[in-house]
Amino acid sequence: MADSVCNFLCITVFVPMVVGFALLFSPGRWKLLPKVLALLISALVFGLSIWIFTFDRYGFYWPVLQIGTLDLELVLLVQPLGKFILLFACGFGLLITVYSLKSRAGTDKSGLYYGSVLLTIGGSAGILLCDNLLFMLIFWEIVTASLYLLITTGGKNSNFAATKSFAMIGASDAAFLLGVLMLWALSGTLSISAISIQTDSALSIIAFLLLMTAAITKAGAMPLHTWLPTSGESAPTSVMALLPAAIDKLLGIYLLVLIVRNIFVLQPGALTIVLSVIGAATIIIAVMVAMVQHNLKRLLSYHAISQVGYMVLGIASATPIGIAGGVFHMLNHAIYKCCLFLCGGAVEQQTGTAELDRLGGLGKKMPLTFAACLIAALSISGIPPLNGFVSKWMIYQGLIEMGAQKAAPAAQLWPLWLVAAMFGSALTLASFVKLIHSIFLSRLPDDLKDIKETSAVQWIPMLLLAGLCVFFGIFYYVPVQKLIYPALNITATTTALGTWQSGLATVLIIVGILLGLGILLVGGLMAKKVRIVPTWYCGEVQDNEQMIIPGTHFYKTVSSMGGLRQLYKGQEKGYFDLYDQGGRLGFGLTAFLRWLHSGVLPMYLTWVTLGLLIILFILCDIW
Amino acid sequence: MGEVFWIPFWILIFPGFVFTFALGLVATYLVRKVGALVQYRVGPPVFQPFYDVMKLMGKEILIPQEANRAIFVTAPLVGLAGVLLLSTVLGVAAFWPQETFVGDIIVVIYLMVLPSLALILGSSASASPHAAVGAAREMKLVMSYELPLVMAFIVVIIKSGGELSLAGISSHASVGSISGFIAFFMSLLCIQAKLGYVPFDMAEAETELGSGVLMEYSGALLAVWKVMHAMMLVALPMFLVMVFLGGFGSTLAGLVWGIGKYVIVVVLIILIKNTNPRVRIDQAMKFFWVYCGIALVIAVALATIGNIYDIAWL
Repeated sequence: MADSVCNFLCITVFVPMVVGFALLFSPGRWKLLPKVLALLISALVFGLSIWIFTFDRYGFYWPVLQIGTLDLELVLLVQPLGKFILLFACGFGLLITVYSLKSRAGTDKSGLYYGSVLLTIGGSAGILLCDNLLFMLIFWEIVTASLYLLITTGGKNSNFAATKSFAMIGASDAAFLLGVLMLWALSGTLSISAISIQTDSALSIIAFLLLMTAAITKAGAMPLHTWLPTSGESAPTSVMALLPAAIDKLLGIYLLVLIVRNIFVLQPGALTIVLSVIGAATIIIAVMVAMVQHNLKRLLSYHAISQVGYMVLGIASATPIGIAGGVFHMLNHAIYKCCLFLCGGAVEQQTGTAELDRLGGLGKKMPLTFAACLIAALSISGIPPLNGFVSKWMIYQGLIEMGAQKAAPAAQLWPLWLVAAMFGSALTLASFVKLIHSIFLSRLPDDLKDIKETSAVQWIPMLLLAGLCVFFGIFYYVPVQKLIYPALNITATTTALGTWQSGLATVLIIVGILLGLGILLVGGLMAKKVRIVPTWYCGEVQDNEQMIIPGTHFYKTVSSMGGLRQLYKGQEKGYFDLYDQGGRLGFGLTAFLRWLHSGVLPMYLTWVTLGLLIILFILCDIW
Repeated sequence: MGEVFWIPFWILIFPGFVFTFALGLVATYLVRKVGALVQYRVGPPVFQPFYDVMKLMGKEILIPQEANRAIFVTAPLVGLAGVLLLSTVLGVAAFWPQETFVGDIIVVIYLMVLPSLALILGSSASASPHAAVGAAREMKLVMSYELPLVMAFIVVIIKSGGELSLAGISSHASVGSISGFIAFFMSLLCIQAKLGYVPFDMAEAETELGSGVLMEYSGALLAVWKVMHAMMLVALPMFLVMVFLGGFGSTLAGLVWGIGKYVIVVVLIILIKNTNPRVRIDQAMKFFWVYCGIALVIAVALATIGNIYDIAWL
């Protein structure tokens, strides 16, 4: 039995990778084969992940090589946190594969697209199962590379976006490598389950910061977030739904939980403050930027950044309920953000635009997409009784509990973190009200009169995810107690601080709606008349187009406020984009070097002499 | 098991629908009567709010052609359900403090967003440009008062020592300290904005937007909105009484004093309503974010200092 499980672990990781790699080179004429293969294998892997989930501790060992003390072996272990995240990563893989069957990106370059999707699935399975840091890094790189490939399947600017993403995530992967080497130097092993390091020496703190950089860049937290909106604009939405919205979050937060809880023993101190500041700043800044976006995909991308802040804050609180809330938020975010990107993709595909001010009134034309999008939007804004509310509620409790530990400096600042989190939630709502208004409510522009609902392969995944939002909201104790507490080794009795009887609340809300319906019925019986009339324009006769108030103008009041206005302008010009600033720095450096290489011989001789002098000074200890 | 029997009573009769509805109409009467007295008018008779609702019920329902009908019709119902749940939770925590019912203070703060959200979605669904402007204003108003409200909530949490249950919070009257008083006063202004009363009535703004968010609503649908609004007039002041003023107590004297506190809060709201002009939305945002924000930063700092050095009056 154990052997077969071990083999299945291998299949889960390597079959999608091998097939995916082969598909990358399949001729462009083969349209159907990649689709069929991707569908079959992602379904198989999803099935296997369910099966793996039922096992407790099984491992697969393959000693690759041994040089001196470096003992390199591929270890695949079924671990509580890994297997739980694996289940959802594979689930998202399957859903996106189904959704992509009808999307443009999945049809034009189908070999490249489905090959990369399978590579992503296999790579993330590898990350979540393997117990060796070096192999984890390799799988991590595979996911990064497949993100690059997937983004290039998008529109005309996709190459720039792909390069930017690859440069930023790749740089953070270099930090990962450096961190892994430091860990090896510190503990002499690369096995994750064997490492436990105190964060008291400078080396261990630097190692922690390096690994944290890798984790939060993958997840998309500030300040290394700018790859996300850029790729959001030009990558196909199904790609955004798969990687930055779902799997990148799962992997990034998985690594963060791993380093905070397993690899390092985190003392509450400066490092907690660093994490909390990253979390709080990410929430507020990203949501402020998201609010004023005019492009649907950019808006969603900024929210994909902002929500990471909640997860980081929850984990930084270092309380059981806070960490559980952070992990639950990761899961919830993957669900609703994936759903939102899929809805956005469907809208873009049907209307041909993602600009909010050219859309409107689609709620009547695409009712199923609207329903899914509305549920997911309310969910991300934390409206009870949906799932986003529950995880935020848990994180808030974690922060309040953190405040009870008076001694720690990060704990004394808890009001700051809590204000950022709760106020950020209101701003998120504002942003999504704008989105719902601009796309689905408001008025239908004349050129969108003939829009149809998307096909079933697209709306079924959306509605499935929306249903999951509702289910995880009302019956939140199912995922929390069955999935998250066991994955994190938390006992349920020590955690509960507040009360939220979501089932009862839902029933009572339904009772309230029925009472309201009763009032309506009584009114209807008394009046006996319902009339459909034209909208009232104060008696003016106007064109339809003139009557549309696009949601993009909603928050001009905010962006033109004194103080905020300058910040928004700077943000638009990319002053706060580390990639742009790094680029400027690089160009400056090369300009300087070019100036040095003037081609004049005496100049070169001067430099050589100067260099020799400096070397002499150092070697002879002249000072 | 006792709870299963009590829940229908709570939600339907007391402190739920019947009670909140009746008291809400009385409070609406109070608002109009006191407002009239301030302006040297006679004001309406006691049953006028009830007559208004009944009259609306008898009118035909008009639905705009371009509207998204599903959302247009459901929005008022969701808003009503939200306020009903809110007032029931607050009422049960006030009068049955030993019960754990539905949720804690975080849940209540989130439930308070539901009516505004329903209003925004309903008006946005009505396809009227005036309503769209109203919806934008309402949303901006929500996000502006949410910041001071959250900070006031933090003051309360510090003052009550990390307590989250409503009954536990209501046993600490945090208004008795400097920080608690600032938090109470700022929350009162937030409640004013939540109720959509002058000076923060720019979302409805009869004189410039023609009722803005409610522009396309008529008949029984409008009646539901009016009922919801009346019920908010019960739930929101009760929230302030519970969270800042020490609740309703368990004795008869405590109950009477609690009702007195409720009336005081309502009268304060009415006086603010009748002595101020409507402000513009950008002024309101600046007011809540900058001025209220600064006041509450001071309050949070005072409360934290008081908590560390055990000084209760800070």
